[in-house]
Amino acid sequence: MNKLYEVLEICLQEIEQGADIDTVLFRYPDLADELRPILEASVSARNRRVPAPSADVVRLNRARVLQHAARLRASKVRASQRIWIAALRRVVVTLAVVTALFVSGTGLVRAASTTIPGDNLYPVKRTWEDVLLLFTFNLQQRDALEVEHENERLQELHELFAEGRDADVDFAGLIMSQNGNKWIVSGIPVTISAQTEIRDQDIVTGSAVRVEGHTQSDGAVLADEIKLLPPDAKLPDGSDKHDDSDKELEEGSPKIEETEEPNSESRNESSIDKSGEKTDASSEESHNKDGNRDSSDDGGSHEGGDDSGGDSSSSEGGGD
Amino acid sequence: MSAYDETRALNGLQSLDSQAIGAVYDQYFSEVYRYVRYRINDDVVAEDIASDVFMRLLEAVKKRQGPQSSLKGWLIATAAHAVNDHLRRHYRRPVEALSDALPDPGASVHSEVDTRERNRMVQSAYAQLTSEQQHVLALRFGQGYSVEETATHLKKNINAVKALQFRALAALQRQIGEVSYE
Repeated sequence: MNKLYEVLEICLQEIEQGADIDTVLFRYPDLADELRPILEASVSARNRRVPAPSADVVRLNRARVLQHAARLRASKVRASQRIWIAALRRVVVTLAVVTALFVSGTGLVRAASTTIPGDNLYPVKRTWEDVLLLFTFNLQQRDALEVEHENERLQELHELFAEGRDADVDFAGLIMSQNGNKWIVSGIPVTISAQTEIRDQDIVTGSAVRVEGHTQSDGAVLADEIKLLPPDAKLPDGSDKHDDSDKELEEGSPKIEETEEPNSESRNESSIDKSGEKTDASSEESHNKDGNRDSSDDGGSHEGGDDSGGDSSSSEGGGD
Repeated sequence: MSAYDETRALNGLQSLDSQAIGAVYDQYFSEVYRYVRYRINDDVVAEDIASDVFMRLLEAVKKRQGPQSSLKGWLIATAAHAVNDHLRRHYRRPVEALSDALPDPGASVHSEVDTRERNRMVQSAYAQLTSEQQHVLALRFGQGYSVEETATHLKKNINAVKALQFRALAALQRQIGEVSYE
């Protein structure tokens, strides 16, 4: 069969150069009967060739294509302007929140300091933590502050579990055990599901990770995503910082005046009780841990953030 | 640009530069149009589809999915897809009536039917072929591409193209025979 295809191609090229069918088939008498109708079909196929489009058609469609290109260029400019405006808006809003926090005094901040995920003022608490970090320039103090914040995440989780509340959470910790789809991360039970996104390959027991998910009534966090943290990431050390909440405000902010705690958050009383109980035990513990950490921690904190934007690009031809 | 420079054109395309787009259009529109017109026997539809191929090029470039090397290959492949999409949506049977003067079954088509009638029969027969058969005939005989260039467009090796063109021509001849016998 291959010979037939080869001979066909030879005959086609000769016909293309002007030979007729009888002449090209003369050299292949044993294949002539089989090839003749094929070559006739090729002549028919060749005779169907269409002429080039008229000048008017070319001109008209050229204008259409260039017009479309101009529209796409204009929309590209508008899209990039929208991105700039959105980014500027975020900066302005953040600055406004920070300013409001300082101007309004610490009443709002103090009210937010004992909130947990799901509470209305919880975002204020997290923003305040970021503000404190931003204005803590001493590296050791900064590291200590980050650890306190991570401890606070764990404390919030314990409170959520105690109250049986469902809330979106994120926390950092060390993987203490991995038992099928049940992990323990810094003492917090974490459930892994088919939807849990784990992009990093080498997450094992002992790895430092950040868990994002939501609390469940069974006292575990159902993980949406687990990310490996870099070696210098700050992790919780298990100390309770509720007793240190006043100290944090004093250290990290301008002079603060005591204000009345609002009644809107009913859990404030229970958290104060808990703080009171834990004060003696934890403060000594945190001092020891701070002392131990000083020698080993380097400056510079890192927390995996999501600041993705822009286009994803891929090259792909029109064919498939 | 006095002489077409594909590299410069590709670079200019990325920024939707009108000069680059015009150069690409000037270089390839006729070829794309002829391919589409060969496959679709309708001037207006062929013009729309050919124009649409270049619109698709611009859209792809905007999404950073445009061709990185061979513009011609991308355009012809896109044209093939556009034609296939059109044919799927608007399957048409030959609208012109065939001549009542049917040849003897054993006689050659060329000797028994006049040229115009023969062209109609060939067109009708061509429309019955598969997309792949139509495509290879359009490239080899409509565009006049060599078997090597056809192989590049089809992303097949040369021997495969030789086999494909044989089968496509055989299918065309069978269909011509069936059309002439109806």
